[in-house]
Amino acid sequence: MTQETRPGTPVLELRNIEKSFSGSTVLRDISVTVNRGNVVSIIGPSGSGKSTLLRCASFLETADGGDILYDGEYAMQGGRYADKDMLWNFRSRFGLVFQNFNLFPHYSVLKNISEPPTLRGVSKAEAEEKARLLLGKMGLSGRENAYPYQLSGGQQQRVAIARALALEPEILYFDEPTSALDPELTGEVLKVIRQLADEKMTMVIVTHEMAFARAVSEWVVFMDGGVIVEEGPPDLVLQNPEMERTRQFLTNYEK
Amino acid sequence: MSFFSMMLKMSEGLSKTCAIFFLTLLFSLPLGMLVALMRMSRNRFISTVTRGIISVLRGTPLMLQLLAVTYGPYYLFGFSVSRNKLIPVVIAFAINYAAYFAEIYRGGIESIPKGQYEAAQVLGYSRLRTFLRIILPQVVKRIMPSITNEVVTLVKDTSIAFTVSYQEMFTIGKQIANSQTSFLPFVVAGIFYFAFNAIVDFGMGRVEKRLNYYR
Amino acid sequence: MNLKKLTGLILILVMVLSLSACSSADKGGTKKKFIMGIDPEYPPFSYMDDQGAYTGFDVEVCKAVCDELGWELEVFGVNWDQKLVQLDANECDCVWSGMTILDSMKEAGYVISKPYFYNSQVLLVKEDSGIASSSDLAGKDVAVQLGTSGEALLNEDLADLAATFGNVVTCDSFLKCFTELAGNAVDAVFVDLPVALSYTKENAGYTIIDEELGAEEYGIAFRSGDKELCSQVDDAIQKLVKNGTYKKIADKYPDIVDNLIFLNQ
Repeated sequence: MTQETRPGTPVLELRNIEKSFSGSTVLRDISVTVNRGNVVSIIGPSGSGKSTLLRCASFLETADGGDILYDGEYAMQGGRYADKDMLWNFRSRFGLVFQNFNLFPHYSVLKNISEPPTLRGVSKAEAEEKARLLLGKMGLSGRENAYPYQLSGGQQQRVAIARALALEPEILYFDEPTSALDPELTGEVLKVIRQLADEKMTMVIVTHEMAFARAVSEWVVFMDGGVIVEEGPPDLVLQNPEMERTRQFLTNYEK
Repeated sequence: MSFFSMMLKMSEGLSKTCAIFFLTLLFSLPLGMLVALMRMSRNRFISTVTRGIISVLRGTPLMLQLLAVTYGPYYLFGFSVSRNKLIPVVIAFAINYAAYFAEIYRGGIESIPKGQYEAAQVLGYSRLRTFLRIILPQVVKRIMPSITNEVVTLVKDTSIAFTVSYQEMFTIGKQIANSQTSFLPFVVAGIFYFAFNAIVDFGMGRVEKRLNYYR
Repeated sequence: MNLKKLTGLILILVMVLSLSACSSADKGGTKKKFIMGIDPEYPPFSYMDDQGAYTGFDVEVCKAVCDELGWELEVFGVNWDQKLVQLDANECDCVWSGMTILDSMKEAGYVISKPYFYNSQVLLVKEDSGIASSSDLAGKDVAVQLGTSGEALLNEDLADLAATFGNVVTCDSFLKCFTELAGNAVDAVFVDLPVALSYTKENAGYTIIDEELGAEEYGIAFRSGDKELCSQVDDAIQKLVKNGTYKKIADKYPDIVDNLIFLNQ
């Protein structure tokens, strides 16, 4: 359970993150390191703070204390965030895939994917070419001109993944990427994520899909009540958890 | 006076009715957005004051506001009353309609899911870009039916301008009705308003249709 | 003509439906109710006093007439440019409010009382305006109240004069006409002499151009079927003139005494 078991340089370091919402503590002294090429899954009951952790790492929530480092550079130090322009630069290093996709409904699939890179200086032609490439990779060739409402949930989520990838992030966050999907549609999304894992994409996945977490990740973090209860390789945490709380959660989950 | 000479005379006032209509929309649509943003401001003072102003504008008759704008400056400060009544009429109408539009905009903006802002933020859209490119187009589509309602009401409200003797179509109609002791000018006015609104309805329907490329 | 009748019919239908409550006047047993239609902004004939009650020369005379005939008086503020429509719709039993008798009213069949007041139209201007006659108003703006005989005059008998004005601004009340003048939005107000007299008395800085532009008489208008009602009122007024009540009321309104027909015969 030390760094040595996960070789590589850290892309994301979260140190002693604290967060409370109007008095109630949501995250308490959370530290997580994600190394290049690793897939880390965060599991735990709802309300355990796992989504909040991702949202803090992607600056959607403001953590109250702690450090956030990307590639060893401070995006937040001692509870103080870097300035606006620097945060904007930091945002290009990660991508976030939401539970509800959050595609822009008035944009075509192609524009959803190709517009964000143009905000960072990529030419429109280049961005569109890249978008087509990514759509092909997602198995969605030919849907460039469709609008999100014309796609199934699974297809929409794959567009959302392509949109995140278009910015060439160093790390990709997934916030319960299959929770809003009908069961028969989760497979196509998980397949895409697995494919990315095979390509050594660095990823943090908040998920309830235990079998998937076990298959795809190098490291599993179990959170409950705003703290990390247990973490380690999936075979250990998911098969032979040390902590009673983890065991309880996994048993309940299998029911 | 024949029916047609009546129509001819009243259609002279129609251009003034149109002037009220178009100028009011021209000023109140953007002004309403400004008011909506002030109403939603995080600054408590600005939002409370704006809210108070909106409730006064929506809670008092447009006719009173028109009188206040036209004659208020004279009674309060001794300023001259404007000879060109189009100015106070458009000011009063634009302010009044801005208040209504502001509440429609606010409803529309608040109905956009938080996720749209979050996705835009993560993808590197600035706050202004998020508003202009992501939020506003969706708001426009959602509020179109309410805007159409207000625009139709505006067509009919233009007749209120007669309170300050602005010679729009309805004022002329009243004068003819009076001098001819006839109800006919009001029938003509009704026909004009109905036709005007039919055109507005058609135009707004076209706009709504064009926005229907997504859901 | 047919269209006119039809629209009249529609109007009356709508009015009668929405105001059917007004027909209680002829109920037996109780005191007869007489509804007097006035322009509530027409001093000194009819206006609202400081306490918010309707008063004025016409209102007081009507009250005396009702007392004489044992009727109950109700005063009803009409929309002046719609007064005859409202009369037709039974919203009131008469229009009695410094109303100029027009030929068109008689032609339309309304029953008109004996004229009781000589009137003329005058131009009210600011003292410092330098305007001394109607010809000085060439190119200038003149306000007139919608539905008054002044407005009718400018459209018909005085159309040539009106054509020399810059604009004729028709307001829906005298207050607005005077406000337009006070606020320099117009240069003159074309108005009935007594109204102009009482305005200049209460407000400094105004003067009346010494030029009578239209001679006319005031009367009371009744619906076409109400000949009997009209003569009842006419007779009652004559009684009041004889017993001195009329004079007593008139003395409270010195601006108009000189033009009252019954006191100057």
